[in-house]
Amino acid sequence: MTKTQLFNQLCEGTFPGDRVLFRPILMHFAARFGGKTYGAFASDHKTLVDCNLKAMEHFDLDMVGLISDPYRETSAFGAKVTFPAEAVPICKEIIVNSLEDVKNLKNPDVYKSDRTLDRIKGAELFQKKLKGDVPVIGWIEGPLAEACDLAGISNMLMYLMTDPDFCNLLMDKCVKTAKDFAKAQIEAGCQVIGIGDAICSQIDALTYDTYVKDRHHEIINYIHECGGKVKLHICGNITHLLPSIAEYNVDILDLDYGVDMEEAFEIVGPEVIRCGNISPILVEERKAQEIFDASSLLIEREKGRKFILSAGCEITVITKHENLMAMRKASIF
Amino acid sequence: MEELFEKIAHCVEFGKINLASPYPPDMKGQVGADELTKQAIDAGAEPDDVLKKGLVVGMEKIGIKFRDNKVFVPQVLMSAKAMSTAMEHLKPFFESGAVKRKGVFVIGTVAGDLHDIGKNLVSMMVKGSGFEVVDLGTDVNSQKFIEAVKQHPGCFVGLSALLTTTMVNMEKIVTDIKTAIPGTKVLIGGAPVSEDFKEKIHADFYSRDPQGAVDFLKRSVA
Repeated sequence: MTKTQLFNQLCEGTFPGDRVLFRPILMHFAARFGGKTYGAFASDHKTLVDCNLKAMEHFDLDMVGLISDPYRETSAFGAKVTFPAEAVPICKEIIVNSLEDVKNLKNPDVYKSDRTLDRIKGAELFQKKLKGDVPVIGWIEGPLAEACDLAGISNMLMYLMTDPDFCNLLMDKCVKTAKDFAKAQIEAGCQVIGIGDAICSQIDALTYDTYVKDRHHEIINYIHECGGKVKLHICGNITHLLPSIAEYNVDILDLDYGVDMEEAFEIVGPEVIRCGNISPILVEERKAQEIFDASSLLIEREKGRKFILSAGCEITVITKHENLMAMRKASIF
Repeated sequence: MEELFEKIAHCVEFGKINLASPYPPDMKGQVGADELTKQAIDAGAEPDDVLKKGLVVGMEKIGIKFRDNKVFVPQVLMSAKAMSTAMEHLKPFFESGAVKRKGVFVIGTVAGDLHDIGKNLVSMMVKGSGFEVVDLGTDVNSQKFIEAVKQHPGCFVGLSALLTTTMVNMEKIVTDIKTAIPGTKVLIGGAPVSEDFKEKIHADFYSRDPQGAVDFLKRSVA
């Protein structure tokens, strides 16, 4: 059975007897594992795909992904992004400073911007190499995260309190590009699209409901119409947002280590695949046996439920290989 | 005058900056911390009282609400904006020495990390509690921290990191600061940081929220 078939079965509620699916978020770690710099990983799809495939083979990962950094769409909107060798790509430029800027902001053609096209080509290359046997997770920025990338985090969070016109117009433009980019990646071969909207954990439920919830729902529905499944990733503790998230039909919900998996199950229900949530700091710092034990305990608790084993967020670059392998070993029976 | 101080505290707590600000919706059309602070000073209030009985009280209340997850980052940013706008009226009194700071707090996001939201929150809260804050910005290396500590003898230092990938840089910076200026108190914070990590890198204090940092600083100068 291929990994794509295993994933499809999980979506339908059939659990493989020999394993729990395992999909950690790998970026800088994958780059170094593949012998490349993070800068090369984020700026060249061939490097990104090659590094991910090496990691997939070594750690027997059940899915691969195109996630690299938050600035693909921001670059397409016109901001300058630079690539330090061993750090997250840098975008210091705030290109939206007023309502006038928002009005003048043009939605990019994702096939004509270097950085969005690079990710689309990555999806094509994954498909060429994997021939559909392994699920490929594409990636887009969620509407609030992208708005923060364009307007600055502190500015945007204050606009949420003071300027609905600014927020609605900017986030509508972000939604359009998110949909365009998701569609392009699905057409290039991605079975799943990850929506990264990290900043949402830092806003209250009312603000989330006012500005973000319906936009998430719109993007999710659109991805479904395009034939893809959706993985929502919000870093940090999102317990206060779970009742809202439960109202729309996300397929996979990433849960960071601050969220109680049991509570999340109670709120979002059995149909949502919950993905998580060992602390990445624990995976980095502790001994392999402790990570194996923590993973085994979580797997036992999740028995008979739709679940993918992962760390709560990105695996750090300095994590020992044996520590990540301990998670895989715990999830193979 | 006490009633005016209470109103100032209320405006800061609820992020009411000034008359023009539409936030919070239930205070739309009312004057804010800006106008009330000016009114208090014009009426002859002691600037130190305006600070301690008005502005600081408001920031403490919002800090506790944030710690207890009753409000989130946008609300704290609005409170901080109300505070900083009101503080403009007190600036001349700080410069003349009529109002004294509790101490100096040097803060920055560590080398390799460009995230400033956590640092800004701590910076605003500490400023709001009566300390002078020297904000070194993001991507700050050991040398910059050391230079700032030398310029402000006896100051406290705050290191912020949002990324698990950059928190490792905290260890070097803590070591470098304590080697260059022994006795300097270093506070650390940020999403991936923990009490265990604080012990490991020999920092002096860790807090998971800005109010914890404020409480530590106040205890340290009491």
